[in-house]
Parts: sequence; structure tokens; C-alpha cells
Amino acid sequence: MTFDLRIAVVCSSNQNRSMEAHAVLSKKGFKVRSFGSGNQVKLPGPAQDKPNVYDFGTTYEEMYKDLLSKDKNLYTQNGILHMLDRNRRLKSCPERFQLCYEQFDVVFTVEERVYDQVVEELSLRTPVDNTTAHIINIDVQDNHEEATIGAFLICEMALMMAQSTDLDNDIDELLQEFENKAERPLLHTIAFQ
Amino acid sequence: SAEVSEEVVENSVENRVIDLLNSSMYSSSESEKVSNLVKVQQLVLHNDLLDNFLDEILGFQNDRDVQVRRFVVGFVEKTCKKDCDYFPKVIMNLKVMFADDSPNVVKKAIQTSTQLYKEFLKWISSAKITDLVESTYEVWLQIKQHLFALLDTADNDGIRTQVIKFMEMIVICQTRKDQFSTGDDFCIDSMSANPLMDLDALEEEAKQVFEQLIIFHGTPHISSVNLMATMQTLTLIARQRSQPFFSKVIQALEALHANLPPTLAKSQVNSVRKQLKLQLLILLKHPIAWASPPFQTQISQLLTDLGASQSEINKCLNENRKRTIKT
Repeated sequence: MTFDLRIAVVCSSNQNRSMEAHAVLSKKGFKVRSFGSGNQVKLPGPAQDKPNVYDFGTTYEEMYKDLLSKDKNLYTQNGILHMLDRNRRLKSCPERFQLCYEQFDVVFTVEERVYDQVVEELSLRTPVDNTTAHIINIDVQDNHEEATIGAFLICEMALMMAQSTDLDNDIDELLQEFENKAERPLLHTIAFQ
Repeated sequence: SAEVSEEVVENSVENRVIDLLNSSMYSSSESEKVSNLVKVQQLVLHNDLLDNFLDEILGFQNDRDVQVRRFVVGFVEKTCKKDCDYFPKVIMNLKVMFADDSPNVVKKAIQTSTQLYKEFLKWISSAKITDLVESTYEVWLQIKQHLFALLDTADNDGIRTQVIKFMEMIVICQTRKDQFSTGDDFCIDSMSANPLMDLDALEEEAKQVFEQLIIFHGTPHISSVNLMATMQTLTLIARQRSQPFFSKVIQALEALHANLPPTLAKSQVNSVRKQLKLQLLILLKHPIAWASPPFQTQISQLLTDLGASQSEINKCLNENRKRTIKT
């Protein structure tokens, strides 16, 4: 089954939350792309204040090899290598949202800060033909378990949206219904592309 | 010979177009129809075959599939952008799409009108005013009136959103730039006096359209999406045409902050407030705000109420300071 809805999912580094959602949505048959909105890609390091930092051009493969050589045990135990392996099978490298000019019907973000960055970025652009994009935030904590739940919830929303023949008209009610069911507050705005 | 082979090539392009059109006509798959028609469009526009196939392609505007009808609207847009002389030939085809059963087709027609109106004004500024040109202009007047009324009468929220963008275009296009206007959007500045159009009347109409947007912005039952769309539109108008509109937009945003629509759910209130904060930050960066302490105070106060930090506010003010120093 394939869907026409064009979806983007955005987190900070395009590693955990957005990639988990990307994997789930893609498997369900959605047209999906994922992005990070931060300035750099950050992965947990040996200590809280010592993250591994990469530029957005770096491939998942390069990051995998880098962490493998730095501390195979640590990065196996904390699941980072497993995550990078999942990611490199989906696409070659993290992508920065601010560099993408493709049109989407829906952009999901996973924390308020990312939502703000996405909304601000889109507000700075000159629209091509005023096609609407709905930007929706659902808070998802940045750990593996929460990312899995978050991906499931995003997929649920996407399925509800895909069933609508007139998303612009139905979306308010749809999101209210989802909020009540999932008991998670959403943020929602519109941008023109 | 070269002549013969050119003719053969042209015939083969025409034959290909005919084949694709036939496939579209007899196909039962919406996506296949659209895909074929997109190829037809490419071949026809690229090989100057519009005169040969215009009517055949426009014939699909009554197709039972929504995406096919949407395609026809897009085709009208591409045709006029390629050659404005086609306006008289296709304007009625565009107009009838506003009565389509599918909101998705109507929205596309409004989007296309937003793009094409400016092209039409550009064309009419220098075109010879024939009866045909004049009657095309009359149709545009009807389209405008229909869309302005649709803001209040439409029963579909998405349609209303596109009407807001159309009205935004009218306000910008039919008013004059000032020293702070950016970008190279076409407007009446580039038009000279014309027997068909009274430029003063167009400007007056733009001001009325702006007032209509202000009123709509303040209606109690406005949806959260259209409230945020209107906020964005008013902010854009305030930035691009600050002399007549900046103050009124600030007033409207202030009134909104004091009195949000009662129909908004809690999370919608949060979303609207965030959008309001973003628009006010944008306006605080405008040179007119910089030059006016009362505006700075008014906007800063609103921002503080909306949870902006002093450093966020200072960042906007400093940006203006830097700009002033540069100039």
C-alpha cells in the first residue's frame, strides 16, 4: 500500500527520533524524508559534556567506523552502533532541514525547539506557489524507547491524515481527536511553500 | 534532406502527443492519466504545439478524476506563463474551475489565479487593448469579486486559506512600494496609465481588501489555521507596505493578543501564541519599528507578555542597529 501524502520528520541530529519515524513510515508505504534542524550532528560520547560531534555532510558509515574505533564496547552497549547501522541502511547521511527545498504536506517535529526552528526557517522563504505545509509537533524524548513510541504515534497520525480526502479542512478535528486519544499535547501551524 | 527530417520529427512528436492523449482518454487509472498528460504538456510546451492541442488538453477539465482536473488548472497556468496571448483563450476555463465539486480543484484554481493575476497585469500594461483583451479583463474582475466574497462564504477551511493568499497578492500588487519594500514582485509601480484600468481605483481596492483581512482576522469563529495564515499575511503586508499598513497591523495583533477566539482549544491557543510571537519578532526588526520608540515599546511589551526573553527582544533591536550602522 502506498500513500500520496508527502511527509517530513525532523529532530535535532537526524539520528534517533526522526530516523525511527522514517523507518516506520517508510515500511508502512509513506513517502517520507527525515532531517535534523541543529547546526551539527551530535551523538552521545563517553560523558555528558563530551558528545561526538560531526558536520551534516558526514555519512552514517563514517560515524559508525569512527565510534567503532573509539570504543566498540561503549557504543555497542549504549545502542549507538546499532542505531547507526539502522540509519546507514535507510540513507547515506543525516540531512539538514534548512538545506531542503522540497515541498511537503506535513512536517512532524519531535520537540518544541525543533518546531520553532522549522517554523522560523519556512517563514524566511519566499513561497513558490503557496502550497500549504502543516507543521505538527509532538514531544518525544531523545532515547530509544521513547523514539519507538514517538514513531508509532507519528505513524498513527499519518494514517489518519492519509484517509482524509481534504486534509486542510479536516486537520483541526483530526488533531483534536488524536490529542485526546494519545493524551499528548500537540503544536500545529501552517506554512506556505 | 534536412527539411524532410525536421517534418518527420515534428510529426513523430505530434503522433506521440496524440497517442498519449488517447491513452489518457481511455485509461481507468487516475495516476496513469495524469502521468500521460504531464508528458503531453511537456511535449506541447517544448515544441510550440499549443495551437494544435490546446482544446484537446482543456477537454480534460471535466474528467471524473480530481487529479486530472487539477492538472488542467496547472496546464492553464503554464500556458499563460509561456505566452500571455493565450489569456483570452483560457481565462474562462480557469473561471469555471471555481465551481468544481472538489475543494482540491478549487484551491488549485485559486493558487493559479494568485500566480497569473500579476502576469496578466504585466501583459495588459503593454498589450494592445482589443475587445478580446477588454473582455478578458472583465473576467478577471469577476474572478476577483468571487474570491473576495469567498473569504466569508466558503464552507471549506482550506479554500479560505488560499483566498487569504490571493488577497495578500492583491494588496501587494495593487499598492506602491516604499523605501523598505524588498524583493522584485510586480506591482502597479511598473504600470503606466491605461485606458482599461484606473490605477488609483486599483489602489483603493487593495486598501479595502486589506480592511477585509483585518476584519476576518478578528472574527470570533476563525479557525486556528486561518488565524495563523492571516497573521502571516498581515505581517508580510506590514513589512512590504509599511507606510499605510504597519500601524494597523500592530493594532490588529495587539487586539488579537488581548482577545483570542473563544473557540480555540488549549493546544491551539499555544500554537497561535507562538506564531504571534514569531510575527512580532519579525516586525520588531523592521526599520519603521526601529525609527519609532512608541512602536518599539508597544511591540516589546506584547513580546514580553508572550514569553519572549529580553535577550530575544534585544537581538531584534540590535539587528536594526547593525543595519543602520552599515548604511
